[in-house]
Amino acid sequence: MRKTLLGLLGTAALLLGLATPSLAFEPVNVVHTEKVQAGPYNLTVGFSTWPVKAMQSLDFTFAPEDGIADKKGKLTQILGAKLVDDEPLARHPRKRDVWGLDIRALPAPGTWTFKFDIDGPAGPATGELKNLQVMEQPGPPMGLSWAISTIPLFGLIAFIVVAWRRTRSTSAV
Amino acid sequence: MDITAVAPATRSVPRGLVPASLVLGGTLISLIGLTWDIQWHSDVGPDTFFTLPHLFLYAGSAISGLASLVVVLMTTAAAKRDQDIDPIVGGRAVGVFGRTFAAPVGYLISGTGAALFLVYGLWDQWWHGLYGFDAVIDSPPHIGLLLSISITMVGAVMVFAVARDQRWGTFGTVVAAAALLVFSMVTSLGLRAVPAGFANPVSVGTAFFSVMILFMAAHALSRRGGALTVGVSVAVLQAVFWWFSPWAAEVYANASGLPLRDYTDGIPGMPNMIPMCLVVVAVAVELLHRMPVWIPGAVGGAIIAACAPLQRLLTYGAPFHANGRYFATIVLAAAFGALAALLGRRFGHMLRQLAPAKENSHA
Repeated sequence: MRKTLLGLLGTAALLLGLATPSLAFEPVNVVHTEKVQAGPYNLTVGFSTWPVKAMQSLDFTFAPEDGIADKKGKLTQILGAKLVDDEPLARHPRKRDVWGLDIRALPAPGTWTFKFDIDGPAGPATGELKNLQVMEQPGPPMGLSWAISTIPLFGLIAFIVVAWRRTRSTSAV
Repeated sequence: MDITAVAPATRSVPRGLVPASLVLGGTLISLIGLTWDIQWHSDVGPDTFFTLPHLFLYAGSAISGLASLVVVLMTTAAAKRDQDIDPIVGGRAVGVFGRTFAAPVGYLISGTGAALFLVYGLWDQWWHGLYGFDAVIDSPPHIGLLLSISITMVGAVMVFAVARDQRWGTFGTVVAAAALLVFSMVTSLGLRAVPAGFANPVSVGTAFFSVMILFMAAHALSRRGGALTVGVSVAVLQAVFWWFSPWAAEVYANASGLPLRDYTDGIPGMPNMIPMCLVVVAVAVELLHRMPVWIPGAVGGAIIAACAPLQRLLTYGAPFHANGRYFATIVLAAAFGALAALLGRRFGHMLRQLAPAKENSHA
């Protein structure tokens, strides 16, 4: 029993030891930018991959020309005419001097609009990044991906069917 | 002088307890890793392959899988030597790949789940290479991984259910069933991919799995109070994780020198997916035990679906609309709850057939 405990403690120590030095997070690497004018605020929207494809996650950065320190705001994501999501503009977790979305994917292809409501020293204002074209998703069709991913479920169902048949004669149901 | 050697008193561990505990322990480590990882993504964010919550997820399946593999190899060796195989260790042995291996059926299932976890880990790695390191819990490979762990958890229920006549078997069955129920709440998120505008498929799925696992455990143990014991165990796990998940995310963020996200609400993600009304459902199941099984099942399913948006209102302050979709979800959850009760009872009976235990000892 003592050996087992020592083994378990050793494994836990190894896991902890491995985890700490491996936490090297990727820097935010902006490869494309767009400009948005929201009233008096000049905003630069950055993308870590370009062009944007549906379901492919990337880092978005939203950087007002004179910083975010004295400002707050809201981002509204619109696909065509449909409101998809809205949320407060928050600092990017890996680039804290700007607002952003970390490793976020836009779920569907089409023409997207990012609407920015910004409130700062110069008062509230609104600006839009229009005609953000999001291309079709890469990779296999989702039906195929789901078929591959639910094999364990169908395997379990097959096992249950076999077990069901073998225990039928003793069933009290 | 006459010296008499006195043999030290030895306490033998019940046969089958150690590997069963390792499988169950592995699934609980996976569960801890999952709730921690979900909270990490909502409260902190940055991700790599080697975060501590991820390592808990990998380690959980590794422990369960290796324990299962050792039992299968030992059983195979015993079978080759024509030794008697005690079905208390994971149930009756079945042949795998012809007669190459003799595997107790419970450990065959738990080990298969762990092996599938490895395969779906590769699928997930390929997916992240193509789609980026998104933090989407219900992506197809993530659902494949969650289903694989669920299969290991089903195996954990099986290896304890064969020992249901012993205290450790009863205790383990309750804990393993509670862990499976909690985990299924996350797997149910995969139902968001089902196009169903008239009802909420996740609420229906949550109701289905909750009712099915409650009935399965209650009928496997075949004793009054079985459903309530599982319900209370789930509530205990929910309470512990409610405290643990945000705490662990913040402690790990501090240790890594990372800040919390702006606008983090601190609401525990996974624990909030578990129906808070489950104990009420379990009480209803106990009170209605003389009725046809589908009636308490339907009642339980309807209660869970009815309370789901109320729980979101309570925790997130999310708007609640008693509209047609809400009532359609309740009706659908009642129908699926009735089906889940019938299935759960049958699964409980199947668990009782895994090994020739002393029937009716608890009845």
